[in-house]
Amino acid sequence: MVEDSKNVSLNQIASSLRKSSRDFSRWKLYKSSKWSAEALVGMCVDDDHIQSPSVDAAIIRDEIESNWNLSERENDLYLLAASLFDCKEFDRCAYFLRGATNPCLKFLELYSEFLSWDKKTRAAMEDVLITGKPSKQKIRGDVNTVDDDNSRDSNHAKTSTSGDEKQSNPSTILKRLNSYLEEHRFAKYEFGIGGALLYYLKGILLKLDDNKSDAMTFFLQSLSCYSFNWTCWVELLECLTRSDEALLLLKYIDEKLELQNSTKSNVMVKFFKLAVFQEFSGNIEDFMDDFQYLHSTFPNFTFLKAQNALINYNYMDYLNSESLFDQIVKSDPYRLDDLDTYSNILYVMQKHSKLAYLAQFTSQVDKFRPETCCIVANYYSARQEPEKSIMYFRRALTLNKNCTSAWTLMGHEFVELKNSHAAIECYRRAVDMNAKDFKAWYGLGQAYEVLDMHLYSLYYFQKACTLKPLDRRMWQALAACYSKIGNRQEAINCYERALQLSVNLEQDTHLLFRLAELYEQIRDTENCRQFMIRCVDVEKSSEGLVSDETAKALLWLARFETQRKNYEEAYNYAIGVSHGSSQEIEEARAIARECRAKIQ
Amino acid sequence: MSSTGTPTQHNSTLAISPFVSGRNGRYNASQAGRAEGDRERDRDPNTQQLAAGGNGEDFRSQEWNPAGLEHNHPYGSLANSPLVQKTNPNIAANSLATPHHHVTANTNHGGLIGSISKNGLFGSAMPSTLRKVSLQREYRDPLNTKTRETHIESGIHEPMSTTTTLTTTTTATTSTAEFDISELSSIEKLRLWRHDALMQHLYKTAEFVANKIYTLTGDPNDAFWLAQVYFSDGSYVRAIDLLSRDMLDSTSIMCRYLKARCLVKLQKYDEALDIVGECNPFSSASDEEAKKETDGGIKLESSLCYLRGIIYSAQNNFAKAKESFKEAVLVDVKNFEAFEELTSKNLLTPREEWDLLESLTLDFSILDDNQDMVKNLYIIRLSKYLNEDKTCESRKQLIEEHNLASNVDILVSDVETLYTKCKFSECLNFCETILEKDKFNAEVLPTYIACFYELGMRNKLFLLSHELAENFPKNPITWFSVATYYMVVNKIGEARKYFSKSSILDPNFAPSWLGFAHTYSMEGEQDQAVSAYSTAARFFPGIHLPNLFLGMQYMSMNTLSLAEEYFTLAYDICPQDPLLLNEMGVMFFKRNELQKSKRYLKKALEAIIELDSTSRTFVSIQINLAHAYRKMGDYERAIKCFKFVLEVSGKDSDIYCSLGFLYLKTKQLQKAIDHLHTALSLSSTNHVAQELLLHALELNVSITLDSDHPLVVNAQIHEAHANIYSSRKRAPLIFDSSALNKKMKTSVSSQTNGECEEMEIE
Repeated sequence: MVEDSKNVSLNQIASSLRKSSRDFSRWKLYKSSKWSAEALVGMCVDDDHIQSPSVDAAIIRDEIESNWNLSERENDLYLLAASLFDCKEFDRCAYFLRGATNPCLKFLELYSEFLSWDKKTRAAMEDVLITGKPSKQKIRGDVNTVDDDNSRDSNHAKTSTSGDEKQSNPSTILKRLNSYLEEHRFAKYEFGIGGALLYYLKGILLKLDDNKSDAMTFFLQSLSCYSFNWTCWVELLECLTRSDEALLLLKYIDEKLELQNSTKSNVMVKFFKLAVFQEFSGNIEDFMDDFQYLHSTFPNFTFLKAQNALINYNYMDYLNSESLFDQIVKSDPYRLDDLDTYSNILYVMQKHSKLAYLAQFTSQVDKFRPETCCIVANYYSARQEPEKSIMYFRRALTLNKNCTSAWTLMGHEFVELKNSHAAIECYRRAVDMNAKDFKAWYGLGQAYEVLDMHLYSLYYFQKACTLKPLDRRMWQALAACYSKIGNRQEAINCYERALQLSVNLEQDTHLLFRLAELYEQIRDTENCRQFMIRCVDVEKSSEGLVSDETAKALLWLARFETQRKNYEEAYNYAIGVSHGSSQEIEEARAIARECRAKIQ
Repeated sequence: MSSTGTPTQHNSTLAISPFVSGRNGRYNASQAGRAEGDRERDRDPNTQQLAAGGNGEDFRSQEWNPAGLEHNHPYGSLANSPLVQKTNPNIAANSLATPHHHVTANTNHGGLIGSISKNGLFGSAMPSTLRKVSLQREYRDPLNTKTRETHIESGIHEPMSTTTTLTTTTTATTSTAEFDISELSSIEKLRLWRHDALMQHLYKTAEFVANKIYTLTGDPNDAFWLAQVYFSDGSYVRAIDLLSRDMLDSTSIMCRYLKARCLVKLQKYDEALDIVGECNPFSSASDEEAKKETDGGIKLESSLCYLRGIIYSAQNNFAKAKESFKEAVLVDVKNFEAFEELTSKNLLTPREEWDLLESLTLDFSILDDNQDMVKNLYIIRLSKYLNEDKTCESRKQLIEEHNLASNVDILVSDVETLYTKCKFSECLNFCETILEKDKFNAEVLPTYIACFYELGMRNKLFLLSHELAENFPKNPITWFSVATYYMVVNKIGEARKYFSKSSILDPNFAPSWLGFAHTYSMEGEQDQAVSAYSTAARFFPGIHLPNLFLGMQYMSMNTLSLAEEYFTLAYDICPQDPLLLNEMGVMFFKRNELQKSKRYLKKALEAIIELDSTSRTFVSIQINLAHAYRKMGDYERAIKCFKFVLEVSGKDSDIYCSLGFLYLKTKQLQKAIDHLHTALSLSSTNHVAQELLLHALELNVSITLDSDHPLVVNAQIHEAHANIYSSRKRAPLIFDSSALNKKMKTSVSSQTNGECEEMEIE
């Protein structure tokens, strides 16, 4: 019995996926369609049930049902528009669809208009990337240079819309979409896929306008009309910037959102939760349950494996992540998505030969994928050729301007080249596009630190720290920054926090020594001594691994004890100083000599 | 010359056709004994003759009946004149169905067009019968001649063929004996020749003949006609010479008018004014009788007034010009040129325009049954800032009752309405529909070009400018268009050059003047801008824009008291313009009179409320209002306004900066810093934002990381989740997924990995 009911639900999922894949390929949301189809193929195969005649019947029924209420004339129009769309003649497609009243056709019209706009702006941006220095120009909608004064800016904005015919841009499209939605106030479910598509488009436009909260509302609305739209879930995810927002959203989805099928059992929600966990981490128990369920249902779904690998990567478990990626490459060799992360892992693990192989392999598959370019760039970076690396990153960005990791990594390369300003520009771009990218924030902080602009770098470290509050490095950087600005109390707080999070004894010596120093600065000698002692203790426990800090700590303790006239202890500390600068060693010897004299 | 020989000042030129004036001594044989008497009766016989002529031929009588029936109609004599034909196609069709036409109907396409093309093509090669006919028509259709003359002067040529068509409207046969050409005297025949030559713009011929006639007869009327020929030919000096001889100009008012026109053409305004007289000599003598007298033509007095206005405006004496034009319209509403001059050259303020039209003295009653239509047509030309309902009503009437929906005037009115409402893209669409029919309609083009500017559509503007430059190199609009193009592509210097070229071609072309001034203001050359604007303000007292711009200039120079003065001037002219209200709001804001500022800005918002909310004006008003709220300390409202602006308009550095400031004020440090960052990323040279950011960051340092700090809050959230994780941290967990025996380890990051990550980050 249990087996049966499970099969029924599996069949339901399968048919939903099948339908969505068909719908979206029909309405030109190729990524959603692809995702659904991949999921479908990746499902566990149960021969008896899949091949049952009911499926065929369902297909036929769907075909009839999903005529999307098109009249014959509209259907003809659709055929024309669809083929124009496939030929990438977006303007023409929109032109022929103007005045269409069917929601789906309306979507296609506005969507192709949007794509046309996107294509044109992308062309404009390519020019910038190719001709101008990327660090000097900003890209967002219309291209105007930063160092122009305001009046020029406004003029630029004007001319950029000057292309002759009434040029559509996101705001005009949005306006038309709004008026359409206002005219046709369908009941939620009557709207069906048409409504879902239109709401989805509205969400995209709003998101482009940086109106994240409204965008989320409409994505959710779209999903409640039609939940099997994976790109919509992804867009929804991209609207989130903080983990507390993620929590709220998940809570909302669990409690309020009405989906077509019941929310709890909806497989899409599970996928979404998985993706949220990947981005923000969260309750690991729930995650495990969901993952287990999804894995049993979709054993061969590459996306799932990739998510798993990414989660491991985010938890800095590179070994696991690498092995997972290896599996992915084996089972689905021509899937380039997420492989740039794989190359990051290889880079960090310094497996350069493997990285070279990956670069070669992906270039063979498709040279003009942003992922490929990132991989090649990583390869060159590993070979210490930052210029070439930057070139490839730039190419990746030309192919996809929203590739955040490429911006961040390019920033790293610029740091390598000691070009802080360019690096800052790159990091900026990265955080503009994806405010969740803690590496970019951290990079910004570091770059400003190099420029001695500690006020700025403090703010960026705070940002990074907000995103990764469980990362020792963040707190440490924050603390260093506070101490440079002169806010010692906060610096101490942060160092202590970093110490709590530290899992690595060897790195503790530095923290402890810094803490001690700070306590000395605020004249809290007792605490200072405590930390100095701890610092020395760490060295002892780590068996021979000596660092400069310990030498300094020993010296300090020796000096301190001489002042307190505890010559014996001072002597012990002083003879412990075995390396460090020659001056330090000299001083230690002097103290030791003095102490010996005093003791005798 | 006796008073009977000269038309009185109250009359139109209808009476002085060369043949009509022949009653002085040389009567036409057929007219003998009939032409005596007053002018009314002078025309009556004509129509009677026509009726009689028609009766002579049975099968034609039906066609002539309309003319006969209109016997006592004020337009009786005009029944077949082009004027009537144009306004009423039915009559035209009837009266044009001439015998000649019937004869040739099988070869023609029939109807009006056929006859036109026939005559147009074969003009001089027509059979002699046609020539005879033309005699008769000349004779009884003096109005046609005269109206054409005035048209020639104003540069709008009546199509020649229309006139000649009319000549065919009477019988082609010689049945009406008194019109037989053979019965005319030799002089009459020469006159006929002269006239036909003039009609067909064969000026050399006309001059040749007219000269002979004048020498033969010495008649002042023939002198006048010779002068007329000279005028048409553009030999103004010769015309003046001729008219000055023999005291012609002092005896005939018509001659004087012509001479004045010649002088105006030669730009000798002072002399022209001497001839026309500095003020209307007849204004006091507006006797009742003269008023009643109408012959359907335009009163010469009105034309004189109009001419006086032209002279004054050429002399930059706009107050007097305005008075003269007004007078011209008041004397005779049919003088459209004067009316047009008043409205299109912005001599009147919107209020004055409406007052003029609504004043009782403006008498549309002489237009009889066309009264309503013409009045409505005039109304829709008035300023769109006032009385929108009335304009709408007139428009509706014209469309519903007179079927003028597709007429260009109606469309032009629509265009202007849309433009004053700043609905540029719709306005553009309307302009394009008009221009489809009439590609270079001078009334629409300036608005069309302005729309291009507003929408930044430089490519179409480029094409249009080139077309105009090819076709109308001497038209101010052409160079206005070129200059606007340069403005759009931001070449201010070039733009200025062409604006000035345009305004040299026509000093009364307001858009060019304003554009010229704008170029200075855009380059920040305040003094030149101010002087250019004030010249414009002097030239165009009817528009508030120069004053508004002057105020804006002074405001940018921080001379607020002067600015206020100019704004008040503009406000007096047009209190409805949202732009003006906005500027006034800004001015009061600058003077720290925040309440007043708020009031004006709110007014501006009301004035613009029906516009779509994304228009630039709307956005800037919102921004200003937000600033006013900010200064008044109403931070919440200010933030709301700014947020709204951000939603509808694009990203703007200053708005983000202001929002950052407001968040700082409301102690939302994180948001403040974020917004200031965005401001700086949009424009890195924003010094205010830089300073504010620095301030905010300093505050950020001093804020303690207590439990309210977002950083700590976030950390706690993460920790709450990670507790489970960290409890397992020391003992890596391995779990089996049911389907595959794949292991997923959530293990601790090992030492080496941590290091590597750090490397990557640095």
